[in-house]
Amino acid sequence: MSVLASSALTPVRLWRGFASATRLGWTISSNWTRPFVFLIYTVLRPVSGALILVVMYRFITGNRGSTVAYLSFLVTGTAFWGLVQNGLAGLANGMSEDRGFYRMLKYVYLAPLPFPLYLVGRGLAQLAVALVSAGVVLSLATIALHLPIDPLRVNYPMLALASALAMAAVLSIGLTYGLLLLGARDSHGYGEIGAQVLYIASGAIFPIAVLPHPLAAAAALSPLVYWMELVRRSLLGGQALRMFPDLSDGTVLLRLLLTAAATVVLAALAFGWADRNARRRGLIDQEANW
Amino acid sequence: MAEPTGLRLFLKAIRARSYPRLKSVFRNRAWLFTEITLPLLGTVAMVYVYQALRAPRAWLGFVVLGGAMMAFWQNVLWSMGTQFYWDRAEGNLEIYCVAPSPLTGILLGMALGGIVISVTRALAIITVSSLLFGVGYRAGGVLPALGVFAVSLAALYCLGMLMASLFLFYGREVWHLAEAFQEPVYFLSGFYFPVRTLGALVGGAASLIPLTLGLDAIRQLLVPGTPVFFPIGWELAAVAVQVPIYAVASQLALARLEYQSRRDGRLIVRTS
Repeated sequence: MSVLASSALTPVRLWRGFASATRLGWTISSNWTRPFVFLIYTVLRPVSGALILVVMYRFITGNRGSTVAYLSFLVTGTAFWGLVQNGLAGLANGMSEDRGFYRMLKYVYLAPLPFPLYLVGRGLAQLAVALVSAGVVLSLATIALHLPIDPLRVNYPMLALASALAMAAVLSIGLTYGLLLLGARDSHGYGEIGAQVLYIASGAIFPIAVLPHPLAAAAALSPLVYWMELVRRSLLGGQALRMFPDLSDGTVLLRLLLTAAATVVLAALAFGWADRNARRRGLIDQEANW
Repeated sequence: MAEPTGLRLFLKAIRARSYPRLKSVFRNRAWLFTEITLPLLGTVAMVYVYQALRAPRAWLGFVVLGGAMMAFWQNVLWSMGTQFYWDRAEGNLEIYCVAPSPLTGILLGMALGGIVISVTRALAIITVSSLLFGVGYRAGGVLPALGVFAVSLAALYCLGMLMASLFLFYGREVWHLAEAFQEPVYFLSGFYFPVRTLGALVGGAASLIPLTLGLDAIRQLLVPGTPVFFPIGWELAAVAVQVPIYAVASQLALARLEYQSRRDGRLIVRTS
């Protein structure tokens, strides 16, 4: 009894395990090169993505004054989208890599640390990388494109709260999706497909009202739409192009809270099922012929 | 039994290496789904941006054609550029090197098989997105566009052969390197907008990627109202010149890197 009690998972041990998982995720992401080169690779993709949209915007509108708000809409959306890309595709692909390439998923699964906690830690490292690139993209764009973002007037509490809620939803989707993908014969590219579907339905680069009505209605159930709205309101204030002009900040935040909570609950149920399925089918330690 | 001649061996190597790719065109359904769906979703997202900004419907053709060409760039990156890296990890590269057939034949086989795979994906992307968004094209430009397309593919896959040689030197970072070549090339080659929008300097530098001028010429032929970067004839000539340049460069790089890899023992390095 005393042995069992001493080996129980105390909060301190849970924290240590979680911190190790985060450190491991960070190391896997970044130790293939020097920090400076890693930083360049990290920002190359989102910066190029933002440039594509800026040039498209200029080509289509001819820089008409009446459409300037849309430029801020595009840049803020694409800058923060990296968090979803890394949190979902990065985590889902990471799980497949842990199993097939590094062949260590089963050891993590067998360790005393709860498996979902390891996955969240692994995903947090991906989010940290995305956060840096979002900061770089926004800073560059604000200076180069004269976006109306004033660092002293940003509503940081709302930005942080909205982002925390959205990331809880994204990580819960990511770890469930990743576990489900372990059952696929070949899941290469499926993480990106999942993120790309959300990209279309999240209002990241165009208002969801542009989508056909049934799709727009479905998109309104996603927490990411409300997150994107709050990100823009936090950064741009009254100059933000709004997807929900009739809703107050509080109402949008409430909708984000409800949809994020529903997403986390649904993802947890799906994760439980996927976990039992993975154990029954022997997917955790399956040879993936990477 | 007579020994096969050099030419026959070369052709047999091409055929042998392209065979698994040709067989995988429809057999690997997971890849079929991924290779069509990913560029298609990217295309759909950009079409909605055009619609949100109330662009003329004819301009949606820019995005759809760019999205289709994306299938070729992804194939060149992941199935040509990084292929020797995967082959080395799986132990195939050392077999290629001890076989009597030339590595060039193996690269050409990979390219031919890759072209067939990507054509099927690109056709699916063009068909689905054009039907979804009602995009039309200039019918009279189809045949010349196919000619430009063929020359562009030749140059592009010669560039892919060059990349396959260069990527051989990388370890775990090859994955990140290939990823880093995605969005920047989508931007520089004007996948979602006419390349003229980039200006002479950036557009001119981006012309080193065969897709840049090839795609622009195809758009000029198929999409009415495409802003002209260079006249079609010039663009075609520039892409045609790139074919022998990249072909010779890939041979030089292959010979050099094969020698260096043998010397440093890199041909048998496993990264997993």
